[in-house]
Amino acid sequence: MTDRTLLTSAVTVQAALAVSASLGGSLQPQPPDPRTGPRVIPNDLADWLAALRLLAAVPFAYLVPDAELLPQESARFFYLDRAWTDALVQGAMSVGTVTTADHAQLEAVYPYVRDEVDEAERLARVAGHDPAPLGPAGTITGLLLRSRAVAGWPGLHVRAYSELVPDDAMLPDSDSRRLRLLRVERLAPAVLLVLVDGVPRIVHVEEPRQGLQFGVRPPDGDPDGATRQGLVPPRDIRTGEPLVPMDDKTNWVPVRFRPNAPGVLNLRKTRDALLAVQGTNMGSDVDSAEFAIQLLRYPYRQVFGPAGPQTDPEENPSSTGTKAGWAQVFRPQVGVPELLADFTGETS
Amino acid sequence: MPSTPQPGFFNLWSALTPPLKAGQYRLDAQIDLDPGVAPTALPVEPGQTFFTVDAPRFALPADQLLSTYPPADGNGAYSERLPQVVLKRRTLPWERAPGTGADATLPWLALVVIAEGEGTLSPEADITQCVTPGVTLAGAADVTQGVYLEVTKTVIDAVFPAKEDLPLLCHVRQVDLSDTELALGDDDGWMAVVLANRLPWPASADPTTTGGAGQPAAAPVRYLACLINLEGQLAALPDAAGDETGTFVPVDAIAHFDVYADAFADPDTLAMAQPAAGTPPAGPPPATVARSTLADTWATGPPAAAAARALGVDAGRAVRDLMAQPWRTPVSTVTTDQTYRFPVLTHWQFTVDADPSFEGLMQALDVALLGSVPEPDPQAPPPPRPVPDVAATGHVGLAHLTRRGDQATAWYRGPLAPRPTGRDESATPHGPLPVAHASDQLRRVTPDGREDLTYAAAFEIGRLLALSQPPVVAALMRWRAEQFGAARAAQLAAQTVAGTSLLGGAPAVTDVPDLGRIVGGALLGRIDADPAATVGPRRPLADPGAPIAGLAGDLEAVVATGLGLNLGALRAQGAKLGAVDALANTAVPLAETPPGPVLEGPDLAALRTAAEAVAGGLAAEAAAGAAPLAGAEASASARPDALDDLLTELES
Repeated sequence: MTDRTLLTSAVTVQAALAVSASLGGSLQPQPPDPRTGPRVIPNDLADWLAALRLLAAVPFAYLVPDAELLPQESARFFYLDRAWTDALVQGAMSVGTVTTADHAQLEAVYPYVRDEVDEAERLARVAGHDPAPLGPAGTITGLLLRSRAVAGWPGLHVRAYSELVPDDAMLPDSDSRRLRLLRVERLAPAVLLVLVDGVPRIVHVEEPRQGLQFGVRPPDGDPDGATRQGLVPPRDIRTGEPLVPMDDKTNWVPVRFRPNAPGVLNLRKTRDALLAVQGTNMGSDVDSAEFAIQLLRYPYRQVFGPAGPQTDPEENPSSTGTKAGWAQVFRPQVGVPELLADFTGETS
Repeated sequence: MPSTPQPGFFNLWSALTPPLKAGQYRLDAQIDLDPGVAPTALPVEPGQTFFTVDAPRFALPADQLLSTYPPADGNGAYSERLPQVVLKRRTLPWERAPGTGADATLPWLALVVIAEGEGTLSPEADITQCVTPGVTLAGAADVTQGVYLEVTKTVIDAVFPAKEDLPLLCHVRQVDLSDTELALGDDDGWMAVVLANRLPWPASADPTTTGGAGQPAAAPVRYLACLINLEGQLAALPDAAGDETGTFVPVDAIAHFDVYADAFADPDTLAMAQPAAGTPPAGPPPATVARSTLADTWATGPPAAAAARALGVDAGRAVRDLMAQPWRTPVSTVTTDQTYRFPVLTHWQFTVDADPSFEGLMQALDVALLGSVPEPDPQAPPPPRPVPDVAATGHVGLAHLTRRGDQATAWYRGPLAPRPTGRDESATPHGPLPVAHASDQLRRVTPDGREDLTYAAAFEIGRLLALSQPPVVAALMRWRAEQFGAARAAQLAAQTVAGTSLLGGAPAVTDVPDLGRIVGGALLGRIDADPAATVGPRRPLADPGAPIAGLAGDLEAVVATGLGLNLGALRAQGAKLGAVDALANTAVPLAETPPGPVLEGPDLAALRTAAEAVAGGLAAEAAAGAAPLAGAEASASARPDALDDLLTELES
């Protein structure tokens, strides 16, 4: 192999490496670590401790000590006990401390470790384009959801807002009212744990979009589909807005089915039925995009927050199904006298 | 190119047909050099290039699948939504021609949803087996092994989309890439969507009440969704059915299957052909003849065993085979109906049950703060286990076996508290508690006498979690070793600096844990403070020269005498003009050369000798005056300067 060949192959390899590096960089934009300056503990250790603070790998029995606290089909909101997670971190840091010198060292550096883990904790789940939040850690709250909805609809969208927003609001991640989620994880097929950086006033849990979905709705008074009918609201294809009231299915178009074929749509007849509706702007024929718009079904969104409608429930007619007393969800309700009475055994 | 929609919005397009369908092409290139000249006049050899436009055919590349609905192996109430598959490449449904002529523009992909028992999903087979016998697909195949779906004509007529339905079921969606919820991880924001034409409905619980109002559907049904290739087999699809109905028959065949299963489970019935006890009840006929016939085989088939299933062609074949067992019943062996095979690009299954919908589930949730226990219904029978002892703070009384063996109860609260808990809750009037080194330091005793093990348990589980991960333990130990090493170095530096008289009063060593830099800085500082004492006196810029003996006295007198000028006149003129101008204006008297005899012979030699002697004396005198510049050897007579002092000091 001559020198020239060697040179060429080296250049080729370098070019390939450069290309792959640039490709990798473009595919997975890695935000630069915003933590600069001298550190007491290495960042990877701080990250691990921050993950521990967010209860990664903590056995579930330690989170919910009794099954009655999280019965089936329930949602439980909570505050994260900082003293508990600090004790957790202290336990992890105590590994390998044998002598009093070790203890003295740990006591000397622990305040710094605590602050640095606070910082690392806020960096959890930071998307590439978001400004990295820094500063002291605040209150962390969260939600435990145990329901068949978690098992059947993997990838639920959970959004928490620090202020009241309309039920149909769709605020981007960067909106200041939107609280960051520090952790969204299914601990079990039917148990979802959500940790929120801040105290939300309103929480939206939405059906996973899985893209958009297309389908029908059963007639009024038949939530289980016993009548085996399907209705769709005709929409204006230019705006996607429905032409009929969403909460009154009187004028909805019934979907036609093929006889002797369970659940199979008769598309031609359904199309004819849709064409008969005035105002859809569909012209004389229906193409697939127009057909898809007519069958569009928005994901259902459950709103947890103060009672009372925030807006008109356009597509989610029952999304304001909040229960009374919800306003109290994130307010401390325990006073010292009650606590004393409880702990000393005097029942009120 | 239309503009990108806003986040949260999307555009739908009915079709995006690629300029070239998949296949092999020949590109003929001919160059016409001069438009005014016939091509034959300046012939250029025509170029020919062959190329292939590729597209998936028998298997969907794993990266082309963005999402499926319902989710693979999902289990829930999906009955109101059409199953769909979202493909990454926007042109994919139109990249092949399923038929000829006008049919060439139809999508070649269709998503069919079949219930258990309605068809057969094959194991991996050679791709020549993947189409109905008699049909051949020209052109190259993308894989050698594929999966096919075998269904009877009856099922096709009932379930498959009609040919004219196909364009309605495929569309293209354009979303904003930054809308992560809609973009699904796509790379350009364009994706193709293939819808099914069937609502997956659960079966009703009791076949005798099929379709009766008020009877909730109950029996879950497993469905198989297959993305099939329709190339060359458009003729098998049903006609656009003219019949219609406002309601549809439920999938009740499954219920029949159960009855048959009971019947055939009895070996007597199987072997001895005795009438079974569980004869199928007289109900409306099953939805299709095919499924009724299939029921027998299906009932004796192996149960579906697995719950997890991987999507795509890259999953392990064993898993796939196991998963596909319910659809593995060979259709052709049990029916005389004509059967068709369709290549399956991707497939997944899901179970539709009669659960409440997502909406129903969410609205029925019991919502509260953690730590609240639902009030027991006084009418209800006592619960099998006692209601937990929950305090208003969220603490739970748990059985506690103490180290001495006593049976006690202790309070415990997890990290999830029903009220805000301050971080400094552990602070005492004397300040925050020190860092705990053992879990026992965090045990408390509550006013009611019971122990509160909350934070002790947290400490212990944190310790165990760290110990359970060797890399973490190693990182902790390494970090601690580095900390100790740094402290040791700092201590050493402090001691070194403190012990050095030269560096007395050096900066605090904890600031710069680098001895070399401390020493260097301190040394330079001391040198700079008093360089004369540290390094030596500064050398003057110029040394004074030695006095010349002949130049002593009044300078004007010397000049006037040497040049033979009139000193008095010079002084008088100098008083007016200045000494320099006076000199410049005064002519120097020149001695007349006597015209006498030339000095020759011994006189000349004597004179030369005398002159040389005078010159030598003058030179020696000048050399003595310049001695300090010449070197140390000749400096004995000169006045010693600062450098000489330093050198002497060094030598001594």
